[in-house]
Amino acid sequence: MATEDESVDQLRQASGTRLRELKGQLFEAALLGATLVGIVSLLILFGYIAFDTFQPLTASAQWYLLYFGTLVAPTAAFTWYARRDPAVRAVNAKAFAVVFGGLAVSLVTYVVADSVSPYDVLIYLLFGAIPPLLVGVYGRTTDERTYTGPAIPVAAVLGLGVAALLYGLVRPVVGIAARWIAYFGITTLPVAGIIGFVVARRWSPRHGVMATAAVLLSALLVAGGLLGVGTDPSFWVVLFSTFVVPVGYVVGSTVGTNSEGRIGVLGPFVLIGGVLAGATLERQLAIKGLESYLTPTLLLESWHGRVASEAGVYPQLVGSIVVVGFMAILAFPIGISAAVYLEEYAPKSGWGSRFATLLEVNISNLAGVPSVVYGLLGLALFRRTLGFGTGIVVSAAGTLGLLILPIVVVSAQEAIRAVPDSLREASYGMGASRWQTLRNVVFPEAVPSILTGTILALARAIGETAPLVMIAVATTTYTPPEGLFSSATALPLQIYAARSSALPEFRHGVVPAAAIVLLALMLVMNATAVIVRNRYERDT
Amino acid sequence: MSNNEIATDDGIDGATTTDTASNTLDPSGDPLVDHDISVEGSDSRSASSGKTVIESRNLDVYYDDLQAIDDVSMAIPARQVTAMIGPSGCGKSTFLRCINRMNDLVDSARVEGELRFDGQDVYEQDIDPVALRRRIGMVFQHPNPFPKSIYDNVAYGLRVQGRDGEVDLDQQVEESLRRAALWDEVKDQLDKSALDLSGGQQQRLCIARAIAVDPDVILMDEPASALDPIATSKIEDLIEELAEEFTVVIVTHNMQQAARISDRTAVFLTGGELVEYDDTGTIFENPEHQRVEDYITGKFG
Ligand SMILES: Nc1ncnc2c1ncn2[C@@H]1O[C@H](COP(=O)(O)OP(=O)(O)O)[C@@H](O)[C@H]1O
Ligand SMILES: [Mg+2]
Repeated sequence: MATEDESVDQLRQASGTRLRELKGQLFEAALLGATLVGIVSLLILFGYIAFDTFQPLTASAQWYLLYFGTLVAPTAAFTWYARRDPAVRAVNAKAFAVVFGGLAVSLVTYVVADSVSPYDVLIYLLFGAIPPLLVGVYGRTTDERTYTGPAIPVAAVLGLGVAALLYGLVRPVVGIAARWIAYFGITTLPVAGIIGFVVARRWSPRHGVMATAAVLLSALLVAGGLLGVGTDPSFWVVLFSTFVVPVGYVVGSTVGTNSEGRIGVLGPFVLIGGVLAGATLERQLAIKGLESYLTPTLLLESWHGRVASEAGVYPQLVGSIVVVGFMAILAFPIGISAAVYLEEYAPKSGWGSRFATLLEVNISNLAGVPSVVYGLLGLALFRRTLGFGTGIVVSAAGTLGLLILPIVVVSAQEAIRAVPDSLREASYGMGASRWQTLRNVVFPEAVPSILTGTILALARAIGETAPLVMIAVATTTYTPPEGLFSSATALPLQIYAARSSALPEFRHGVVPAAAIVLLALMLVMNATAVIVRNRYERDT
Repeated sequence: MSNNEIATDDGIDGATTTDTASNTLDPSGDPLVDHDISVEGSDSRSASSGKTVIESRNLDVYYDDLQAIDDVSMAIPARQVTAMIGPSGCGKSTFLRCINRMNDLVDSARVEGELRFDGQDVYEQDIDPVALRRRIGMVFQHPNPFPKSIYDNVAYGLRVQGRDGEVDLDQQVEESLRRAALWDEVKDQLDKSALDLSGGQQQRLCIARAIAVDPDVILMDEPASALDPIATSKIEDLIEELAEEFTVVIVTHNMQQAARISDRTAVFLTGGELVEYDDTGTIFENPEHQRVEDYITGKFG
């Protein structure tokens, strides 16, 4: 019995155990404290900016009640309802993605094409897209895919080169067409083609042709109707093609085929309807609303240095999108190619591997170089060496591209490395070549993480200020860039410039409002990255 | 059935796709004749089992300075099950991966000596490893189906080899799944992800994937070691059936398994040395070497 008592005693807490437990609890509390300090200070910062921007105290209680009734309550109720049924929830998520994605695509397309010139975009799109399409169709009909595969990118590059050569000849011819016809070519044609392709795959080729014709005809009808009442249909053609058509397709096919989840398509419309209803009632009932600095003027007008209510950041917004978009075109193919080489092709032993390791170490170190230094590099490269104009779009995009290149390479490398070797071996074991293995096994697995990484790199680039200051991009401009060789602008630069305004309503109103716009832009990108990642993680 | 196309464009490793595409899959024909591997005795498929298909002569394999295979000479007969046993680290996998040149993927690996497949040295300069692997399939230790549908997994080989146009793909997929004793379990869910299958089913899917391209030889590297006993016994039954049509080379560290399913057994011992190679009965009942007897009776290894 004595031995049993002893062993029970060993289980009892000794004073040493208590001390150890106390230490553990203290450690946990310290960790929690650190987390809270971080989160709370960020919240205070954002709250401060949001407070200055929206001026929440200026609105009356009725205003809050109104929007609670039209927007918050219905949206919350619908979301709560949709979350209970997985089918409804999935449809709801899809509807939100297509509605707001379509809206973003149509706005960005219109705004960028409008500032650069829709005719130029049309010319490059036609010359860049038609040759590879022809090659692809040829490959499908003749089974010559061995050669047509590599020919597709070559055809695209050649087409763009030809477009640049013939630009002087083609531009006047294309310029005869009305503006809206150029937009029709940029948006309606590709959308009609894609819808036709999707429908043909899902139902039958005949349906596909019909869908294409329907899209083209209805876009023409919209344009014709607007021309009849004397409005320029350009914007509406874009909105119709890249927003109404895809939303209509998704909503229509979901309602038609998914009887369990179809109610979910209402989600985004509850939200939009709530906003519209609230705005209408607010005006009708003459309710005193927010005296927010985040107004349509801020988003749609150009800068005004003296009157805060007339200052807008439209040119800077467009400039940021154009610069970052062109940067993506420059940096992503290069970065992803480098990552593929380093992970899949670089030798793993001998001198070659030492060289590859050297490259890799350098690239990951470059990811940490301060952005001012990249600005200096951009200045030396684009202004001094290549002799480009001061602060133009190409230099800005190139400089930012250099800045994010290491981030793209490293994140793409990680994505490719995460694909298990056993899958590669399985593919090689089946007699697949290296390219086939890459294309059919490695890429499909790695693409979601590559996308996530690159979108995060984009979000980083869109907020960069210092390198743009270094290459002398003007901090205040009144027009958006008109092409790759015209003056660049960017939202963070305007924020930086306006913060030194003598007028307090700029420093405490317009600046935080513009910062909120910039944050919203980044938030949208990050959200896209998260959605892409979650979507693919669920699929596999 | 499935719209997932697999790219067959072979932009980088040369135009092997179109070459093999001209081969027919007709089993009564002569799939051994390949444009990439010139074969001396190309009528071996019609020959009865027992003719040598794979032969190594004084084979040495090194990983940088480490010697993993030491002067191994052995001849593997057609349409039989040849087992390779031995303690872990003795080079069984290395030898197996030499046969279809999977060791090419390991930069540090270096092969000396000869390894002949149908009389042709596979390490000769002009031999295309991709074409070689199309005739020597492989099943790995851990089931490694692609994260694609069951159908696309089985169709993968035919698609990358550019043969999906000339065979009835649906029929070939069904046939392979039947031969891998998996058809009845998956016939209603061919579009489902292969990752949703159990481990044993995944391994049979990998076998179906390997035999779908109708190879001559199937290499198996401990195909059942990650599976439970019931799944293991299914795989073992399957291997015995496969040997009626294919030459099977299987690595195992389970001696009962080797004794049950193999016709011939090779015993490797530490240092990558082939100590004894004979009929399975002889190896297990009356081995020539004391070291082999010790290993088999569990005194060592
Ligand atoms: N990729 C490799 N790189 C370096 N050494 C390796 C590699 N693969 C195997 N080896 C070494 O080669 C020897 C034989 O390994 P292996 O063929 O895998 O043995 P087994 O399959 O019999 O367990 C071991 O010493 C192992 O460490
Ligand atoms: Mg092994």
